Amino acid sequence: MKPAVSVAAWLARTLAIVLLVITGSTLLVRCAPGYLSDAREMDARYADAARGELNAEAARSGSLPHLLFSEVGGWMRGDAGLSRQYGVPVFELIRPRLAVTGRLLLRALILAWSLALCAALLSSASRSPSLFWHTPAALLLAMPTAAMATLCLLTDHGGPVLVMALLLAARDFKFLHHALRRAWLDPHVLQARAQGIRMRRILVAHILPAAAQQLSALLSLSIVTALSALVPVEVIFNVPGLGQLAWNAAMNRDLPVLLAATMIMAIAVTFAGMASDRHSGWRNA
Amino acid sequence: MKLKCAAACVLAMLILVAAVIVAAPGASYANQDRESLLAPASTRHPAGTDALGRDRLVRVSAALLLSLAGSVAASAVTTAAAAGVGALAAFGPATVGWTAMLLCDVFLALPWLFLLMMVRSALPLTTSPANSAAITFLVLAALGWPACARAVYRGALSLKTTEWMLYARAGGLRGGQIVRSVIPNLVPLLLPQFLISIPAFVMAEANLGALGLGVGEPLPSWGGMLLELDNSAMLFDTRWVYFPVALLVIVLLLLEAVAGEA
Repeated sequence: MKPAVSVAAWLARTLAIVLLVITGSTLLVRCAPGYLSDAREMDARYADAARGELNAEAARSGSLPHLLFSEVGGWMRGDAGLSRQYGVPVFELIRPRLAVTGRLLLRALILAWSLALCAALLSSASRSPSLFWHTPAALLLAMPTAAMATLCLLTDHGGPVLVMALLLAARDFKFLHHALRRAWLDPHVLQARAQGIRMRRILVAHILPAAAQQLSALLSLSIVTALSALVPVEVIFNVPGLGQLAWNAAMNRDLPVLLAATMIMAIAVTFAGMASDRHSGWRNA
Repeated sequence: MKLKCAAACVLAMLILVAAVIVAAPGASYANQDRESLLAPASTRHPAGTDALGRDRLVRVSAALLLSLAGSVAASAVTTAAAAGVGALAAFGPATVGWTAMLLCDVFLALPWLFLLMMVRSALPLTTSPANSAAITFLVLAALGWPACARAVYRGALSLKTTEWMLYARAGGLRGGQIVRSVIPNLVPLLLPQFLISIPAFVMAEANLGALGLGVGEPLPSWGGMLLELDNSAMLFDTRWVYFPVALLVIVLLLLEAVAGEA
């Protein structure tokens, strides 16, 4: 397939997935049994007639075509609808938080990859698997993000970047160790080591290029993991990012904001996954 | 293998002890001892009590049982769905396979925690604790199948080209019959997927609960107990607040060892 056609096909598939994600998320929210619930229903000060009117209004504005139309319309206008909680366009809430979240994610990813790559290079080059590297990784993987963040906060050691980086590094280390270990055991690498070629040369010429494809796939997995850890970390450390906004929206049933945050995350994940696939495809070609 | 067996034995023992504690006469996770709020460990309450005077040991034991039961059930649902979708995609018409894999891509693109938060926050305000627990694990199961389905799809595709499969098709076996004979051959692939999903679901429930969006009170859950850590005044009163976290980490390590992940 010609490169231009291949790129066009990749782009079309990515866009189709993004569209399906938007439609699917909207459908899921609309079909949730409590979508039409309103906190005012629980308020004893409202009479039955007022509650009935609230329900009727919610049903009118919550019909599926209306919801899809307003959602798509909101995105076309560039404001992603109106926040139920704050009464302002959703993008006005999201825009300043995107930068905060982006910075946090970038720092955590860089630190995590540096830690994981260093640890994996050292552990994979050793002759036998060492508990010294694997025990901390297993322990970190068994620690819920919320618990790790709370303990860091209580002991006054480490911040959101460190918590996310440790979590990501533990996960990445496991995959990197396996990928690099396999590369170290390749016959030509063993031959090179036996011939006394310097480790640095072997690493640059053989190990890292052999593991490059898996590394690009792992990067997209890292982004997905980081997005999952984002909410507890931002909530517990009080970071004014997208995760905290989404949690706040979830607690206050502000579904337009939550829907927009989910879609932005879904689009980021889709593009990261597709970019990694594309990178692998190009390398194979 | 030895590590796996040892981990499975310790886990079984923990479950047994938790079941005995929960089933003991007079033990209830919702019982409140109003005269000993935030009490330290004593003969009456071996792991102390929480801010509402509820026995922490009973609550942790009930949370362990609830979380494991929910995660095992969710994992079974996930694995069954993945087996069905993966086998259908591999052995069905090409269009079905393409559509199924596109659906997998869509689900994999959805950030699960955000989606869980979205569904949990859209539940009726009057949802009972038992229903909230069931819905939490059901949503986890509904979101967990795509990665497993992809693995099953690849395994089923490689089975499709094996010699015995060619003989079976040449012999006139129908699609349903072929799938029935393929599923047992996928068990070595499905079992690890099932085991890997359990700690992932336990962890997801704990994280969701710690955000206040998991299993509703008064049902005990890991996430609900992690919320206690937010109360710094409580942390100075009793160190037993850390007990649920420590036990959760141990359980997750054991589950990962059983799944061959540790």
